[in-house]
Amino acid sequence: MSFLQPLNFWQTYRQRRQREHAEDALKHIHACEWRGQTASADSLAGALHLSAREVVRLIEQMETQGWLVTTPQGLRLTPDGEQQAVAVIRAHRLWERYLADEARMPLAQIHAEAERREHQSSPEILAKFEAELGHPWTDPHGDPIPTAAGKIENRADQPLTAWQTNAPLRITHIEDEPPAIFAQIVAAGLRPGHVIRILTSTAERMVISNGDDTPALAPIVAANISAELAPNAPTAATQLTSLQMGESAIVAALDPALQGFTRRRLLDLGLTPGTRIQLELPSMFRDPLAYRVRGTLIALRKEQAEWVYIEKE
Amino acid sequence: MSENSNPTDVLFARAEALRRDLSGQFRDQLVQSLYNEAESIAQRTVKPAGTRRWDWDQQLDRLVTSPIFGLPIMLLLLSIIFWLTVTGANVPSQLLATALFWVEEQAANLFTAWGLPWWLTGFIWHGVFRGLAWVVSVMLPPMAIFFPCFTILEDLGYLPRVAFNLDWLFKKAGAHGKQSLTMSMGWGCNAAGIIATRIIDSPRERLIAILTNNFAPCNGRFPTLILLATVFVASAFPAALTSVVAAGSVVFIVLLGVLFTVVTSAILSRTVLKGEASAFTLELPPYRQPNIGRILYTSLIDRTLFVLWRAIQTAAPAGAVIWLLGNIVVGGQSLAWHIAGWLNPLGVLIGLDGVILLTYIIAIPANEIVVPTMLMMYMGVGMMTDVPGTQELHNLLVGTHGWSMLTAINLMLFSLLHNPCATTIMTMWKETRSWKWTLLGTFMPLSLAFGVCFLTATLARLLGWV
Repeated sequence: MSFLQPLNFWQTYRQRRQREHAEDALKHIHACEWRGQTASADSLAGALHLSAREVVRLIEQMETQGWLVTTPQGLRLTPDGEQQAVAVIRAHRLWERYLADEARMPLAQIHAEAERREHQSSPEILAKFEAELGHPWTDPHGDPIPTAAGKIENRADQPLTAWQTNAPLRITHIEDEPPAIFAQIVAAGLRPGHVIRILTSTAERMVISNGDDTPALAPIVAANISAELAPNAPTAATQLTSLQMGESAIVAALDPALQGFTRRRLLDLGLTPGTRIQLELPSMFRDPLAYRVRGTLIALRKEQAEWVYIEKE
Repeated sequence: MSENSNPTDVLFARAEALRRDLSGQFRDQLVQSLYNEAESIAQRTVKPAGTRRWDWDQQLDRLVTSPIFGLPIMLLLLSIIFWLTVTGANVPSQLLATALFWVEEQAANLFTAWGLPWWLTGFIWHGVFRGLAWVVSVMLPPMAIFFPCFTILEDLGYLPRVAFNLDWLFKKAGAHGKQSLTMSMGWGCNAAGIIATRIIDSPRERLIAILTNNFAPCNGRFPTLILLATVFVASAFPAALTSVVAAGSVVFIVLLGVLFTVVTSAILSRTVLKGEASAFTLELPPYRQPNIGRILYTSLIDRTLFVLWRAIQTAAPAGAVIWLLGNIVVGGQSLAWHIAGWLNPLGVLIGLDGVILLTYIIAIPANEIVVPTMLMMYMGVGMMTDVPGTQELHNLLVGTHGWSMLTAINLMLFSLLHNPCATTIMTMWKETRSWKWTLLGTFMPLSLAFGVCFLTATLARLLGWV
């Protein structure tokens, strides 16, 4: 038997790759249906970086498994395939939540890492995982996490480009692909949960206000941000980083996009809304800075202070 | 959903619906209500007693975190602690060694008087016991001085300020500011430094701190550094300055170690431990008068004795091995010299020699025995031996065994960079529970030591310095 061992390895590897491709295909077709489009063999080949021959083989294999059917319009998921797809999406988004909140990975890296890990999680492990994360209902990009029963919440959100100027909006989702556009959105300081207003919108650019800053976005960038109406939400306040040495202010809120470990830590240190905070001491290199909160000196890096919103006195 | 008829499912569906309304906010509200409660209790019971001390704290904070004085103050305190450790440990070390070696001699005489064979006496007393005695007498006094000094700074509240000051540097390397604390703990003992990494809450940054702790040269490596400093550096200075020069060279090597720590941390966080610096939050406690009783307890019982016990467990077998290697004679030469001969080409390649490499292999259990084992080999005796006078030592190393300035420099570098001792490796495994990280933590420094020494040796040879 032992001389067959390498062959076995190769076979398990092949099987695993096949499963990963099938799962990625399910996700792609599901995403197309979610957007009201239909996936085709070509779009699948593009999304998974496969050759035409490989895609045909993959589709045949998935048809035998009863996950999809080929219709004149394109590829469609069967109810079975739909269920499988939602399970993979659930794994992906739970992993993203975990990587962002508990492993504290930068937002730009979590998607690729979750792509790798989503294929290795059984439903039982995911259920435990979900409970440990405190049943989050969106991933860090704002996408709803499907329940174990396979339900995905439908929201009345639309791309920014579809909204009227001046309506109070809450960002529900930021598309993480393509990465270049995602990086621009992150650089503009926009995150899911933020309350914004569109100031002007023309064919060339859109200027929005988040209460503190007025970033301008190209329409192709704005189209990757979705938002819903937020009639009576408070507008975002000033960031803690704008405080001058010796100045004091009142904590207004922690950024809604900040979840998990870091949020718990900031709350534990006493940075609850309504608390008075004073910038008291710089360090040797002027970062981190130490703030006086409830009589205690607490050092925060610039990156942490950016999550805290204040109202100046 | 058709299964709504089942009451359990109805309940779950209801919980699911309600959870959406709770989402996120209720945790915040929970914490806020706890703080409100605590605040109202504090308002009723705690009365502030004037604000004079407060101002003093603030002035001190301004001083130790200022861009001009911050760094000099840190370096000054560091040098004072090392000077105290190096000079203060001399006398107690001598006393301990004299006492323990007297015991060894008496016991060996007794064994001989009873007519027991020489090899049994040698193995037990000149091997195992001498190894133990050496580690205890070289290790205990510096640790008993270093750790309390360190704990005083900790108790005063100065150490959190160091982490606060240096966080910027460690952030650049993708690591955590508290790593500066575990690093300085490593100067006392790397095993203790690795245990101290528990204060870093991000797993990735904690691993970086564990893997790079070895670049903080511990007390056990000081004797090697001091020996080299006195033989090769201090001879150029007046005799009165010897202890200052010795402490100065230790500080220099320590700072070189800090450089290696930051650079390897940066490399690790861009390769095997990829990721950005994560959240850093640190409480800066008010300055407090140190509590002497607590300091003695934590530094002596928790740190010194704990580490000493682990070192003793590994030093006893090492003593046995050293004695066997020195006393088993094959073909007219001891086993030790045979092995040293085989290792010599490799040693010479990296600017050292076979004896030094063999010594470092034998000294894996504890770095304290590097100097006595090396001297045992060079002086051709069968057991670990104490340092002779500086002039004699110079003649022995440079005259008889052909040491050059390159040998001295590379031995310093090798001592700083080489693999951690057995106690530290064991601790690494206990803290990470992973063979992968333990092996990386062992072989990364070792290959770095070989690489750096090879580089300096080749460079020196190309430039014709040797």
